[in-house]
This record gives sequence, C-alpha cells and structure tokens, in this order.
Amino acid sequence: MMQYTQTLSLLKANLKRDWLKILVWLLVLAGIFIAVAAKFEGIYGSRAQIQTIAQTLKSAAMTALFGPITHTSLNTAIIFAVEMAVFWAIFMVIFNYAIAVGASRGQEESGLTEMILGGHPVGRLAPISAVALELVIANGLFAIIAGIGMQLANMPGSDTTGNWLFAISLAAVGWMFGMISLVFSQLVADSHNVLIYGYSFFGLTYLVRMMTDVANPDYTWWSPFGWIEKTNIYVTNNWLPVWLFLGLGIVAFAVAVGLNVHRDIDAGIIQVRGGKRSSRFLRGPATLLFWNQKSISLFWIIGMAVLGASYGSVFNSIGKLVNDSPIIRQVLGQSGVRTLERNQILSFVGILGIIFTVLAAIGGAMVISHLYTEEQRGYLQLVNTTPHSRYYLLLTYVAYGVALAMIILFAALMTTMMVGNATLTQPLSIKYYNRTFVAMLPVLMLFISALVCLVGVWPKFRSIVWLLLGSAFIISYFGRLINLPKWAMKLSPFYWFDKVPIHELNLTPVMWLLLVSAVLLVIGFVGYGRRDLEN
Amino acid sequence: MDDNLILAVEGLKKSFGKFEALKDVNLTLHPGEVLGFIGPNGAGKSTTIRVILGLIKASGGSAKVFGQDAWHDSVAIHRDLAYVPGDVYLWPNLTGGQTIDLLLHMSGQQHTPVVDQLIDAFKLDTSKKNRTYSKGNRQKVALIAAFSTDVSLYIFDEPTSGLDPLNELIFQQRVKQLKDAGKSVLLSSHILSEVEKMCDTISIIREGKVIETGSLESMQHLTRNAVTVKTVKTMADLQQLAGVYQLQFKNDQQTAAEFSVDSDQIGTVMSTLAQKQILQIKTTPPTLEDLFLRYYHSDDTQKAGE
Repeated sequence: MMQYTQTLSLLKANLKRDWLKILVWLLVLAGIFIAVAAKFEGIYGSRAQIQTIAQTLKSAAMTALFGPITHTSLNTAIIFAVEMAVFWAIFMVIFNYAIAVGASRGQEESGLTEMILGGHPVGRLAPISAVALELVIANGLFAIIAGIGMQLANMPGSDTTGNWLFAISLAAVGWMFGMISLVFSQLVADSHNVLIYGYSFFGLTYLVRMMTDVANPDYTWWSPFGWIEKTNIYVTNNWLPVWLFLGLGIVAFAVAVGLNVHRDIDAGIIQVRGGKRSSRFLRGPATLLFWNQKSISLFWIIGMAVLGASYGSVFNSIGKLVNDSPIIRQVLGQSGVRTLERNQILSFVGILGIIFTVLAAIGGAMVISHLYTEEQRGYLQLVNTTPHSRYYLLLTYVAYGVALAMIILFAALMTTMMVGNATLTQPLSIKYYNRTFVAMLPVLMLFISALVCLVGVWPKFRSIVWLLLGSAFIISYFGRLINLPKWAMKLSPFYWFDKVPIHELNLTPVMWLLLVSAVLLVIGFVGYGRRDLEN
Repeated sequence: MDDNLILAVEGLKKSFGKFEALKDVNLTLHPGEVLGFIGPNGAGKSTTIRVILGLIKASGGSAKVFGQDAWHDSVAIHRDLAYVPGDVYLWPNLTGGQTIDLLLHMSGQQHTPVVDQLIDAFKLDTSKKNRTYSKGNRQKVALIAAFSTDVSLYIFDEPTSGLDPLNELIFQQRVKQLKDAGKSVLLSSHILSEVEKMCDTISIIREGKVIETGSLESMQHLTRNAVTVKTVKTMADLQQLAGVYQLQFKNDQQTAAEFSVDSDQIGTVMSTLAQKQILQIKTTPPTLEDLFLRYYHSDDTQKAGE
C-alpha cells in the first residue's frame, strides 16, 4: 500500500486545480441534458408527434447517427433515451479525456509529477490513482445531477430505475474511456499523442457501433461504445452494460497501473528514438510547422477518409423508404420513388457535411491554436528573434490550418461519395458533393477566423471557439430533433445552408459569412502584431 | 543621439496591468563592448531584454537597437542579432542537430565547420530528441546556434545557469572571441564572477530601475576598500580622518588595525599611514558582491556597510 501513499491529498490538489473545468463541463453537460428532458414532453408529448419522430428515427440514416430504435410501442421517455444516449455519450467521452489526460500526462509534462514523487513522501502510484478517483467524482456528480434532473423532469413513460440507469450509464461510459486514456498516458510521453491514441480508439469504437447498428444491432456488443445502446432504457432497463463499463474501466486502470510501474517518469513505454543530426529541410517557420504537424495531419486525413467511407457504406440502407408500401409506390410512380429516395440520401449528405465541417474546423483550429501553445511554452522566443515578422508567422499557421481543414473536409466527402456510390444502384453525381463542400467553406472560415481573432487579441480565452463550434453543432445536428425554435436554429451558421445539396447554394449568406470572417481575420492579425508575446 | 550606439535604452518603463516591472531603465552599449547587466531575480533583466527584442511593447521611454526602434523595426533589427534566452524551450520532436540547423537557416546562416567545432567543444549529442535533453543541453543548442551566427549584437540572458563549470569556461572563451572580433554583447547575469571576468561595463538593475552604470573601476569609488595594516608608530589619529570607517585596533599600542576606507579618500589615508612607517599592509578592492550588498540593501545601508 506504500505505493498509494498520499493519494487523497493529491486528489484534493487535483480537484483544487480542476474544479472550475469540471464545474463548467458539468453545468453544460448535465444542464443541457436536463433542459432537454424537461422540454421533451412539449416536443414529443402527443401520439401524433411520437409517430412522426419514430418514422424519422427508424430510418437507417438516423440509426447510423443516433443508434437503432428496437421497441415498437414508443412514448416520450423512450424517444428521449434513443435520441440522447449515443449523442451524450460522445460528450461524456470528450469530457473524461480532457480531464484525464490533463491530470495524468499533462501534469507529468509540466514537471509537477516529478517534484511530487521525487521530493515528497508520495507513493509512486498515487498520482494515477488520484486521477482515477477524480474521474469517479466528476462522473459521479454528473450521474447525481442528471438523475435528479430527470426525476424532476418526469417525462411521460419514464420510471425511476430508467432515469438512474440512464444517468449512471452515461457516467460509466465516460469513466471507462477516461480509464482507457490512462493506459495511453503510459504508452507515450506527451499529452498530444495520448489524445491522438485516445480519439483513434474512440473513433474505432464509434465506427464499429455505427456500422453494426445499420447492419445488425446484435453485433453492436462488439463495440464498448455500443454498449450504451444496450441499456434499453425505459423498456427493459438492462443494467448489464453498466457492469461492463465498470468492469472494462477497472481492467483498463489495472493495465495502466501495471504499465506505470514499469516505466520511468517523464517517459512512455514506447521509447523516444533519436534522429538525424542535421536537417536540410527545416528552413523557417513554414517548414518547421509542416514538420511538427505532419503526423497529426496525416492522422486527420486518414481518419476523416475512414469516417467518410463508413458513412458511405450505409447509403444503400439510407436510400430505402421507411414507409415502403405498394400504395405509395403506385402514387409516386417509379421516378417519384427514385426522387424521394435520392433526396433522402442527399439530406443525409447535408447532415454529413455538418459533421465533417465541425471535425475539419477542429483539425484546422488545432493548428492555429498551437501557435499560442508554442508561444506559452517558450518555443517561439527563438523564432520571434529571427528576421521573420509576426504577421508572417501567424499567416503561416492560418494558411496551414485552413488548408488542412479544407483537405480533410474534401477527403471525407470524397470517400463518402466513392463508397456511397458503390453501394447505390443510382450513383449520386459529384456535383452534390462539390456543392456541399463549397457551402461548408464559409462556415469553416468563420470558425477559423473567430479563433484567429481570439489568438490575436484575447488568447487566454481562445477556448471560446470550441464553445461556439459545439453550440453550432448541437443546434444544427440536434435542433431539429428537439424542435428548436427557428430563431435559435438561425444562430448556427449551418442553418443558412441546410437546403444544400438538394438545392443550389444561396450566395447571400456566403457573402455575409465571408465578410464577417474577413473582419475577424483583420482584427486577429492586427491584434497579434500589437500584443505582448508571452513565454 | 549618437548614431553609433548599438543599444540605447532611455527611461524605459513597462507595466503588466498594475504591476510596474520596469520603472526607469537606461542602458547604452557601444560597438565592440561587452555590457554586463546584473541584478537579482525579478529585478527586470529579462523584461528589459524582451522589450529590446521587440517581444513586448514598452509602456514608456524608448529602446533603440542599431538606432532603430526595438518594437517597430524588430524584423530589421533581428537580421543582425542573436539571442539566447534564460530558459531555452525547444520543439520536443526535433533533434538537437535539426534544431541548430533550423535556427541557423532562420537567421540566414549556413552550417559551417565552425558549427561542428562548437558542437564538439560543448560536447552535445545532436542526434537526441529535444524532449530528452536537460536544461543545460537545451541551453547548449541555443548557444551553439548563437555563436555560429555572424551578427553585430549578441544578447545572452543568464546563459550559463544550466551549464557545468567546464562549459561555462567555453562560454567565456567564446564571448572573448566575439569581443576580439569587434562584436557587441549584452550579457545578463546574477553570477557576479562571470560578469567581472567578461564585461567592460556593468549596469546594475534593481526593482525595475537601473541604479548604476559604469566600468567596474569607476564603480569602485562607490564602495570602500578593506585595509589591514601594521605600523611602527601608533595610529590613534586615524579616527579623525575623513572616509575611514569601522576602525578596530588589534593591540593596545594601536599599531595593528583593520578598517575600511572610501576609495576616493585612499590617497590621504595612505600618506597618513606612511608617516607611521608601515610594516605590513593588505588592501582588498571591493568585489561585485560588495557592490551588490550595498545596493540591494540600500534601504538598510548601515547594515550593509558594516
């Protein structure tokens, strides 16, 4: 037990450092969750409303995005559970990754762990145990708040067991992924790579869930992420997935502890190898940025291409009409059915456009955000004292970020098209994909320019851009399912292009978004040229 | 203003919010001069250097390098300047060798045999990734790049804080070579012996103000020489002499004494002592430590002077 000495005091220190981060996450995650639950009766209270949404949710497109709906007699609470489970589990994973990686590898990188372990009577396994406990507390709080909130919301068709099962299973899936990220924290020596490993793993489990859901939901057990669907909340209230989450989480923690004992501090199990003694390639800020970003850029491009291909692989099912009765076929005629089916796929392409754009914006924004990270870490003090202007430096990062975002968006759309068309008897023309691509560019520029503006003027608050991006995503992706009022839908820039690719692009919003982006860019560049650089 | 000045900082002020980091900083560096910039931690050395480098903007006063404004003309200034920060942080995924080549390229320099000589001299394994380097090794990377760069002005911010004595010696030799080649150097430090050995001129900064500037010799008038003396005749009348402090007689005959004397009074005191027939005398010039002690306890001068 000596190895765990002082775990609790480290836990206290962690909470002292992270409480605001955890609080904000909890307020947003549990708050929106409860708010949706409370409003849900008004949205899907009547039989007719439930029938309509059930039609939508049963389509393969919605199954791919939100998971399958297996039960036949539906009520408000079941609709809520089906719509929210997969979607909210994604946010729980992101939340837990953010806390876990920061408190484990992030702390070690900052040199704090070395000081604690080296100079103080603290057990070797105390830091990692403290992180695990911190996550227990953070997720436990989510479960308690969400559970109480759902009890109060009291949706028709809900029951106490279901409410608590839902809250606890979301907390458990988050915690499990947190524990898994602790394994990755032992493997590699920097938090950046830990996150890459973590999100690759998560992406894999998500893709397996999506494809098995569309093909045959029985196979979804193969994906740990898919277990969240197997709770069957408000129908059979199955607790088995919660035990599986906790079990796998504990196994992951045990593996992490096992690896932790066998590695040196500040090192990963995967050793850092040496490299070349000289470089002809590295000549300035641009080549340096390329060199530093090349692996993660490749990871983005491949990852997005795989994501696009996965979505494309289910196009065949998405094209099928849910209400496929002979009468309808007769009324619409052969070509009418075809048009309807095509439009169904096209609107799915539109939704994919939103998903891909949000991810592309994250990929591009991370590059630009890195400019400030490097400034803070002091890497840039050697660049800033060479004859390169600050504008050139910022321009390099912005150009790289925009180019990367465009490439990964394009790659995702193209693999969607290629794989999608392979599954369809009536292939979709490339013009629809091009239309989606062009429509999404101004939105992409808007978010990236907002980040440039923040990095230039108000770098400490650059995380606001993630909030903007998240809000726009929730509004546009999810807003229709919870019947958000139109004025709220308009807040998201995606709203202005939601007719694309079925209809042609409307140029007015393009102009407006590009204008706003240009203004934000100018403010960002001027601000960056004028502000003090940190180190 | 003298256009030939390499560096001219006048009345420089810098505030971070309400905190006044620099209140009144004045520095001048002539061509071919090595200027030592000393002060305790937190006195404002690095902040001053960061203003000079155009990384942060002055709140008042002016900072000119090569006669150009440090903020507005930073890119032009950086063409003819090399800098080694106090804490060197390097991109973790590059090797030391790649970093050196990158820094050279960015300053428009070539990888010459001089670079390899420096790598040998500092004994740096350039095949290792930066993330595996210690503080001292990261400092060597930046030093090798700076010494390989052919420019007019070199700025070192506490450059040897992570180096072992052997590497410190190499550093001192290289600075001397720069000086011999007619280069100008600004060297900030709190290691006094280092500054004493290398610098022509010294500026002392304390709490955001440069409180003294001059050559080491010219500053010595500000402090007192310690004198230990034995004479044949009694020295009782020393007590009346101006500029003599802390006089202590070591025997009852008052022929053995220890005292300190203001540097500008030393002539008078010596001629008085000569009349007493000196048997043995030892005078110790003030070290920079003495200067330091005097200035950094100026609110408590008496204590420091004792």
